[in-house]
Formats: sequence, structure tokens, C-alpha cells
Amino acid sequence: MKNLKTILVFALPMLVGSLIMASCASSKVAMKSGAQLWGENCVRCHSTPSPSAYNNTDWETIGLHMRVRANLTAEETQKVVEFLQSAN
Amino acid sequence: MKKLILAVLAFMLMLPNLYAQDTPAPDPYKPSKTQFMVRGYAHAGLNYKKVGDEVESTFVGTTFNPIFIFKHGDRLIFETELEFAVEDNKLEIGFEYANMSYILNDYMTLRMGKMLLPFGTFIERLHPSWINKFANMPLGMGHGGIAPTSGIGVELRGAIPVGSMKVLYYGYITNGPKLNTGFDAEGNIDEPDEAGQLIFNNFEDNNNKKGYGGRLAILPFSNSSVEIGGSIYGGAVGDRGSFYSNIGAMLYAIDFSFVRQVSAVKGIVDIKGQYNLTNVDDATYFEPEPDGSLTPYTFENSSNAYFGQISYRPTMSGNDVLKRFEVAFRYSAFNAPEGAEWEQESTQWAVALNYYMNWRTLFKLSYQSTNQVGGHGVPEGQTVVTDGLFFHWALGF
Ligand code: HEC
Repeated sequence: MKNLKTILVFALPMLVGSLIMASCASSKVAMKSGAQLWGENCVRCHSTPSPSAYNNTDWETIGLHMRVRANLTAEETQKVVEFLQSAN
Repeated sequence: MKKLILAVLAFMLMLPNLYAQDTPAPDPYKPSKTQFMVRGYAHAGLNYKKVGDEVESTFVGTTFNPIFIFKHGDRLIFETELEFAVEDNKLEIGFEYANMSYILNDYMTLRMGKMLLPFGTFIERLHPSWINKFANMPLGMGHGGIAPTSGIGVELRGAIPVGSMKVLYYGYITNGPKLNTGFDAEGNIDEPDEAGQLIFNNFEDNNNKKGYGGRLAILPFSNSSVEIGGSIYGGAVGDRGSFYSNIGAMLYAIDFSFVRQVSAVKGIVDIKGQYNLTNVDDATYFEPEPDGSLTPYTFENSSNAYFGQISYRPTMSGNDVLKRFEVAFRYSAFNAPEGAEWEQESTQWAVALNYYMNWRTLFKLSYQSTNQVGGHGVPEGQTVVTDGLFFHWALGF
């Protein structure tokens, strides 16, 4: 019971707060640019790498690695990799 | 002088040839079909701990985790990670994962081998030292914890866009967890203090019955800022033909993640949490007495662990130094079953101040305080408070 209370005290405000912050979401993936998808997705688990961190070949490999690890969609991965390769 | 003029003339005659190459210069970065990358991470640091009245201070490290990634074409990838660490002055080499993945179609990827399990999110996504914002893992994760780390088997995973939402699914079959009974395969007493715990890395199936697991997650907003997931994993855990052959276990987890750059606070707000629950069927275990006899005992084998963390990094600040700092807070707890030799109730809070040299290199300064009742080395009925100050340098490469 004590557990449940602690969880509620910590989790509830976080949940409500983040849902409010998140709700100003924008359009669908199909309408988004690679740059925007990179900004939104690559920060979810670790800091966002800048395009200059790797060369084009390496971005291909990392793109596939992250697609599998992070379970990104095919479209997200393709757009992000194209953006990273064009901006490095 | 004459020689010099001749040399200059000869050079000028060669010039047009230098420029008149009809084949373009080879591009060293043109992708070939096969790619191989060595990546990984490392960390070293200083740990200062106060357990009750006792003080321990030691440099730790370096742990070094090389990762090899091999890619062939656009669909096939192999990844493997090793871990080199020194424990008790001996080099320990860990085999963290080694698996191949093949993209079957836009919505389905097939994987096989030793994989970090998508059970909750901490182990698969957050445990590497350059990603974890704290010097340690939350209570209940990692060594002696209840969260499954990796499994050997086969998995299907994929992401499906549904309108402006995304649904992620994971389903896997593995050799499954194995029950630590306090006896080894020959029936000799072995780790009796850990009887009733689960062992996750099983290169061979101990009972021919596989472990089944899965995770379903939803990212309700098109900016992917929120992810809510639920995981389940279970199966038979006792050795084939043994006294424990009918014992099974079910594990559950829920996880939450919110990460977004919020302009109102000029920075990235990152909130993550996970709750784990493990239920193992009741069984009788045996406690070795000093006179060599065995005393049977049993307990309700249910344990849970959870953590919640929040961090903030002022990425939109005009100040280039401030931008590199991050503050983080984490609360975690671990409750092991009452009546088990490893019975304990622990809670911990941790704060961290991190400085990013670059996106994958950071200095972590963290302070944490742990309250533990029960468990190894804690006298009955007492609460042991451990305060720790950690300075770690973590680096991904
Ligand atoms: C769901 C979590 C998650 C998301 C989202 C994610 N990553 Fe990663 N990333 C990881 C993890 C975990 C690792 C570390 C892999 C390991 O050490 O086993 C990693 C490692 C990396 C690395 C190091 C090289 C490598 O392949 O291991 C790069 C570069 C990288 N990620 C780039 C990206 C980019 C670009 C994106 C956006 C498309 C992204 N990541 C999105 C979890 C994620």
C-alpha cells in the first residue's frame, strides 16, 4: 500500500504534466521533414547526435541499427537518415 | 638555373594532365553493400560510500564495452556487445548480446540470438553508461535484480503507424528464466541464499519448455514524445525431471516515457519510469543448517521493483556552457519476498548533475541515499542507510 502511495505521489503529477506538454503535438509523420523527425525521435533515449557526428556510410548502418533497436517505422528511419546524410 | 627552368617547364606540361582525368576521384565514403562498425562505450570513476558509520572510497573502472555491428544490404544486421570489467582483481568478460535481425517488411523485423529483452525499457534502452543519467542502475535492475536482462531465442518486432499514433509490438520465445533452487544440477548445495530467484541468461533450456514474452507500447502523439508500454514474460522455470519441474513464473512490467524540448522551460524535459512485478509459483526450499541437516521452508514468491526519474537540460539557453549541463532526480525501490533468504525492502533516491562534453561523453556527479531493511549483511530488524557520492566519466564511441 505504501508503495502504491509513493508511486501515485511521483507518477501522477509527472503523467498529467507530460500529457499537457505533449498535447501540443503537430502533424502526421508523412507531413514531417527528416529534420523534424530527427529532433523528435533521436532524443527519446539518448542525446541527439548532430549530423556531423558520422559520415554517410556510417549513418546508413546506424539508421538500420536504430530502426531495429528503437523500433522506428520504415518511413521515420528513411527520412531521418536522408536528413543526416544531407546535413553532415 | 637552367635545371630549374626545365623543371618548372616540365611541371607546367604535366599540369593539364593532372586536371584532365576522365574518371572522377574515388569517393571513399560511397557505401558498399557490406558495412562493419566497431562502436561501444566505457566508464571510469570514483565511488565514495558511507554504509552506516563505515566509509569506503575507491576508484572504479574502467569497464569497456565494445560493440560490433555488421550490416549487409538494407535489411540484414548483426550486433554483438562484450563487456570487459575487473571484479575482485580478475578480468571478467561478459557476453551481453549477439543477434541478427532481418527486416521482413515495413512492419516486421525478425531477430534471433542472444538479445536484450524488450521487457520494460530500462535494460534495452537506458542501461549503457553514456545513456544512464546516474552512476548506478535503479534498485531491482542489473545484478541480483528482478528485471530480465537478455534471453536466447527468436523475436518479431515492429512499429505500426495508426493515424497520428504509433503502436510498437514485440513478441519473443526464449529458453526462458531458470529457478535458482539452492542446489546445482548434481544436487549439491549451491547459493542457498538465493533460492527462489530467477536466472535469466540461459544458453541451454533447463526444461524444454520455452519462455514466452512480449511488449506492446503506444506513442499516442505524432511527435513521439510520450510512450506507454506493458510487458509480460513467463514460462516454466524448474529443471526438467526435478522436484521443481512444475514451478512456473510470470513477470509483468509497465513503462512510461516522456521526452520533449519544451520552449516554456527552454530545454529538454525527460521523464521515465518502470514498474516490475515478478510472481514465481510457491515451492519448498531447503536451508542448510550448521549440523549438515536441511530445514524446509516456503514463502510467497512475489517481488517488485520500480523507478521514476526526471531530468532537465537547458538546451535552448543562450549560454553555451549552461547548455551542456543536466540535472536529474530518480527514486527507486525494490521489495523482495518476505520469508526468502534474500528478503529485503529497499528504497533509494538519487540526484545527479551531469556535464556533456559532447553528445556521447559526459561527466556524472551523483549523490544517492539507500535505505535497506533485510538482505545480505543487514542485521535483522535494522535499517541500513548507505550514502554514496559518485563521480563518473562515461563515454560512447
Ligand atoms: C528507443 C530508444 C532509442 C531511440 C529512439 C534512438 N536510439 Fe540511438 N541508441 C539507443 C541505444 C540503447 C543505443 C546503444 C546501443 C548499445 O549500446 O547496445 C543507441 C546508440 C546509438 C548510436 C551509437 C552507434 C550505434 O549504432 O550503437 C547512434 C549514433 C545513435 N544511437 C543514433 C540515433 C539516432 C540518429 C536516432 C534517431 C533516429 C536514435 N539513435 C534513436 C537507443 C535509441
